[in-house]
Amino acid sequence: MWRYIRLYGYFLRFSFSRAMEFRIDFFFRIGMDILWNATYLTFFTVLFLHTGMLGGWNYDQVLVFAGTLFVTDALNMTIFANNFWWFPVFVNKGDLDYHLVRPVSSLYFLSLRDFAANSFVNLLIAIGILTWALLRYPEPLGAGSIGLFVALIGLGAFINYTLGMIFLLPVFWLHNAEGGRNLFWSLGQTTGRPHRIYTGAVFRVLTTILPFALIASYPVDSLFGGAPAATLMHMAAVAVCLFLVLNIFWRRALRAYSSASS
Amino acid sequence: MTPRLFLQIVSLEARTKFSYRVDFWINTVVGFSVELFVAWFLWKAVFEASGAELIGGRTFPQMVVYVIAAVLLGKFAIGRDFEGTISGDIYEGGLNRYLLFPANYVGVKYAQQLGRMVPLVVQVLLFGAFVVPLLGVAGEFKLSFGSVAMAMVALAVSNLLNFLMVFPLQATAFWADNVWSLMVAQRIVGSILGGFLLPLSVFPDAMRTTLEYLPWRFFYDFPARVMLGEIGFAEWLPGMALALGWCVVFRFLGRAVWNRGLYQYSGVGI
Repeated sequence: MWRYIRLYGYFLRFSFSRAMEFRIDFFFRIGMDILWNATYLTFFTVLFLHTGMLGGWNYDQVLVFAGTLFVTDALNMTIFANNFWWFPVFVNKGDLDYHLVRPVSSLYFLSLRDFAANSFVNLLIAIGILTWALLRYPEPLGAGSIGLFVALIGLGAFINYTLGMIFLLPVFWLHNAEGGRNLFWSLGQTTGRPHRIYTGAVFRVLTTILPFALIASYPVDSLFGGAPAATLMHMAAVAVCLFLVLNIFWRRALRAYSSASS
Repeated sequence: MTPRLFLQIVSLEARTKFSYRVDFWINTVVGFSVELFVAWFLWKAVFEASGAELIGGRTFPQMVVYVIAAVLLGKFAIGRDFEGTISGDIYEGGLNRYLLFPANYVGVKYAQQLGRMVPLVVQVLLFGAFVVPLLGVAGEFKLSFGSVAMAMVALAVSNLLNFLMVFPLQATAFWADNVWSLMVAQRIVGSILGGFLLPLSVFPDAMRTTLEYLPWRFFYDFPARVMLGEIGFAEWLPGMALALGWCVVFRFLGRAVWNRGLYQYSGVGI
């Protein structure tokens, strides 16, 4: 365990030194993320000029949802997104060989090796927006609720990671990641709206089989939904199931890998 | 550049794009569906929660029709997959051959971009024919020959405008090591200020007036409303003049950035 923590420390050091070499991109990416946050805040603010509730939440609650969405997205962009980008390249060029022979979990290494230092600034901004949204919330929330909320944000980010990885793994057979990547990105749009706007079968699918609606909505639901224990159990069960699926899928994918000709 | 060469480039790029069949269907079925259904659920929730008959001057079925038109027509305006080709030429040194060829670089890239859009025509027509009755709003689509013709012209101009807006951003690749973030930022801004995420009619009056003078409106809101007959000829004409004015502005900007960037270009990529 300690070895993995120390290894992650090295990943961070390399990533920050690399980010400092490409300073223009560093600032472009921060600007892009700020615009994304501003767009979402504008979107919800304009919507609430025409309604008092959205998916069962009022404006104050939706601001907390928006902050949660920014944090889960920033966690994804900071910790996983660069690795998702490079993963198909490693598979298709045969560079995966170098990672498979290392004395650490190849899934761990390939998922976490590239930490996006430029997005880390956005993570801090996103945490700032979420803190602001929580502080301006008119009713007391309680330390226990906030603690559970923070833990569920971490779980939401983990679910997002497992989904992202599962959608990339077909590259071992198809040799092209574009389809899976587009699919993940398209379905990921459902994350950006409160989950209770979806109804019927779509709601059930988005909270179980393709649990994109859990990622940002469920942590917020634990604060305002009235059944935090059920929310925790649901998210934890989905996260465990997805991780098992990912591991099974990963082992099968490695068996299909044929190095440079893959 | 001769029209014959221009059309040959368009045809070549179209055939290349059609050859990627998996991408083609995933983009069509899943991409469009998710965009439309997320918007459908969102507006359904808003109308139900507010109890209002009209929001931004539209009933729920009219809002759905607007969303379909904006999502599908926006694909023509925004184009696809060409953005990285200009910065890629700069990064990989591929620009060298264009500097030697007796062809205009901007013309070649525009033709390639048009060619890559041909599959979109098929996608949009197929998807539109399927989704409009599925969402139960076929009766709300009241198209006339005039509105379709004006929308086609508006789409052609908005596609050109998008290309000219993206060009100077891509040309910053002469200095910046990665311009992906700029492209995404441009799309993000366009989605909210252009009427993709929300129709401009739901914005407060003062903000809407400003947005109507900005270029992003021509990517979603303007062509969709022209197609749906909400904008007549008297409003369409000054709109087109404004869009073409923006094209001129961005062409000058693109040329200035490009010419300056060429002095930086070493021809070996980075």
